[in-house]
Amino acid sequence: MNPSLKLFLILFLSLELTFTNKLWVNIIVITVCLVLLIHYHFRWQQFCWLIFIPLFPAIAIFTTIVLFSPGHSLFYGLVLFSRLYMYVSLGTIFTFTTNPLALARSLEQNCHLPSKYAYGVLAALNLIPKMKQAVTTIYIAGQMRGVTLHWWSPTLYFKAILVALQWSDQLAQAMESHGFVEGQARTRTINIPITARDWVITSTLIILIQIIVIALP
Amino acid sequence: MAKHQLHLRDIILLALIGIIFGVIYFAAGFIYNGLTILLTPIGYGPMANDLTMGIWCMAGPLAGFLIRIPGAAFLGEFFGAVVEMLLGDQWGAVNLISGTVQGLGAELGFTFTFYRTYNWLTLLISSLTLTLVTFGWDWFRNGYSHFSGQMLITMLIARFISVFVFSGIIVKLIANMLQRAHLIKQ
Amino acid sequence: MEKILFNNLSFAFDKQPILENINAEFKSGKIHLLTGISGSGKSTLLKLIAGLLPKHGGKITTGTVSISTNGRIGMLFQDPLMQFALDTPRHELEFTLENCQVPSAEIDSRVKNALQFGKVEALANQLISTLSGGQQQRVALSVVMAMQPSILLLDEPFANVDEENRQLILAQLLKINQENHTTIIITDHDLHGYQKLNPLVWQLKNRQISTLSASQRRKVLQDNRSSIKTSLPPATSLSIINFTKLSLKQGDKTLLTPASLALLKNKATLLTGPNGIGKSTLLKAIAKLVKYQGTITYNNQNIQKISPRKYYQQLGLIFQHANDQFLNVTVGEELNLSRKNGHNPYFTSRQIQQALAELDLAGREEQVIYSLSGGQKKKLQILLMLMMGQEVLLFDEPFTGLDQDSLKTVLKLITASRKIYPQTLLIISHQLNGLDEFIDYHLEMNHQQLKYCGGNS
Repeated sequence: MNPSLKLFLILFLSLELTFTNKLWVNIIVITVCLVLLIHYHFRWQQFCWLIFIPLFPAIAIFTTIVLFSPGHSLFYGLVLFSRLYMYVSLGTIFTFTTNPLALARSLEQNCHLPSKYAYGVLAALNLIPKMKQAVTTIYIAGQMRGVTLHWWSPTLYFKAILVALQWSDQLAQAMESHGFVEGQARTRTINIPITARDWVITSTLIILIQIIVIALP
Repeated sequence: MAKHQLHLRDIILLALIGIIFGVIYFAAGFIYNGLTILLTPIGYGPMANDLTMGIWCMAGPLAGFLIRIPGAAFLGEFFGAVVEMLLGDQWGAVNLISGTVQGLGAELGFTFTFYRTYNWLTLLISSLTLTLVTFGWDWFRNGYSHFSGQMLITMLIARFISVFVFSGIIVKLIANMLQRAHLIKQ
Repeated sequence: MEKILFNNLSFAFDKQPILENINAEFKSGKIHLLTGISGSGKSTLLKLIAGLLPKHGGKITTGTVSISTNGRIGMLFQDPLMQFALDTPRHELEFTLENCQVPSAEIDSRVKNALQFGKVEALANQLISTLSGGQQQRVALSVVMAMQPSILLLDEPFANVDEENRQLILAQLLKINQENHTTIIITDHDLHGYQKLNPLVWQLKNRQISTLSASQRRKVLQDNRSSIKTSLPPATSLSIINFTKLSLKQGDKTLLTPASLALLKNKATLLTGPNGIGKSTLLKAIAKLVKYQGTITYNNQNIQKISPRKYYQQLGLIFQHANDQFLNVTVGEELNLSRKNGHNPYFTSRQIQQALAELDLAGREEQVIYSLSGGQKKKLQILLMLMMGQEVLLFDEPFTGLDQDSLKTVLKLITASRKIYPQTLLIISHQLNGLDEFIDYHLEMNHQQLKYCGGNS
């Protein structure tokens, strides 16, 4: 499916279901996502992680509404509990089936996102392992001078931003020397079209969800 | 180069700022879960979200201070969410919505000071807008309408304190260092 | 026809002059080699030609630089990883060709040719961040050649590149120049292997450029890597750091096969070896900055079992990039921090003042560190770490960017401090001049092996 359209669909569903307090639609969305994930060979460790991540906030909201709120409503407790799992399932299905470069190319071609945004963010993405190393280096450089830095120490961020300033200069210059010019037209290695099938899937899903929202509690 | 719009370098920098906070906050996730476990038995579980809100929102105000162009604060916060999504974070695409909300909250602080003043007042206003905008979103997302009035007020105050401490005071301390090092272009 | 002409050009960063009254014409179709110590302005000159400066910073204060070419200008950067926007060589090539508006139908074949040229077909779909420095530069060369440049600039391209890849890239450069008459300008401070390219040699010194005569050129291009005379460590001496079956890897490349060896207490050991062989990685392993296999002990205790706080009180690393060492904003703040937390008895406040004066850093307390020159940063960095007074100090290329006088002062300072407060030193340096007196033992790292050399061997 076209990555941009898929992103739109996921965002649309998350937003709609935030503003509708319905239980069944959440459960159906979660189930469909899980089935799809099994189809895409999601590993069982990843499933465990998927269950664990929203567990604490979900339990917190559930108990607060059911036990401590004026209404003591079990139904709303379940709606909000399942809502968090709905978010995570939708998020996971998107990230698990979408490649960042394909998304960037799609946003550039289908949504006319300026290429400086698409490729600027991608370029930074490659530096994550190096940034982790840089942050470790800052902690250790501190300890070698008798200073223990914490995650709330302004110095830690100051130093990390110095690194980021230097890297962003270097990368921007390197991309420019690889022919990149802001706002200039580029050709395409791969065409990422929005097919009729994409439109049919998207609209069918949206309509189906509306029916479920209206029909079930 | 014309400075009224964001250039490639600024965009990379904003994304890197998002990454820095993502890398460092890895630890803060545990704080969130810890607080949740502590507060749930007394019926204040959701307040963990308010108490840590300021931590998740530091990137925006800092970006706004560093790159003094409209949109920088928003993108600093938003790119953090984009990066998390692209890395395969479980909250994934839904993070984009919270990223948008937090980004708007941070940006409004600079909008209300007309992108001219960059001082404590700016950070105070941006802390206020961040608190209100994110609280408004969580009202729907986390079903706040079911909570008691007293609890909501406590949570709102907790959220403001958190936002002011982390996205206000700490951000200002970082910005001061950057300023003294002549790294913030006026 | 290309023309690269500097006419009385001066260039400054934040009022700090980098180049002054440069007059030079780089003849088209030739290979030019630009030499000079690090920080002498070589990169600046290349970036001026590439059009990256003054666009991205700095200011031309006098004169002009005029570049006319009907082709593109390609550039290879010093930090191999920092020149890619995308994750794999293939994607980077596609990105580049899209930028150059190559029609979609041609992209595939151009990508293929480029991969072939850099001999990186096998790496095409691997993550660039997992490749070695040498492989990354070969990918960078492929990308640049895909653009079919008429001028090719290389900024210290071999700093992180092993010998084999260096030879491979040099051979390809010669081929490009002979077949396409591409103008090539390379900056480097290590001149071995350039002879067969028969380059025109330029020298940057004190912000001025000069061209070398044929005889001078022959002399600098001669393979005259200096050597150093040391003895082998005696078998009975006291050790402080021990490696047991230590092995190192970078990605899937082995840097060191299991080695067992000792570093001797209160001695200065020099660590040398070709570029990209893993010397820095070894230092980082000792400083617990990277993972390794095997065991490293410090005073017979496994370093993984020593708490970081305690360990770094006893072991310090002088980072290759001086900026990594600093924590504050001004020189004065840094000095105060080392004064407060340091415990090297040599550095009384009088000694500190004297050291500052000798290092030409006196009176700069208010200055922002990041506005110091490369050499000044290096000197400050070494002073700050000496003051801390760890038992062991690891030095990663501490002398780059220092002129002869500064080097002498720094060595004198370290020697004087060690007389009062002996420390164990392990030093990576490609600069060996003047180190004879200073060094006790010499470790050589090559072919994935680590061994002491010297004596009669």
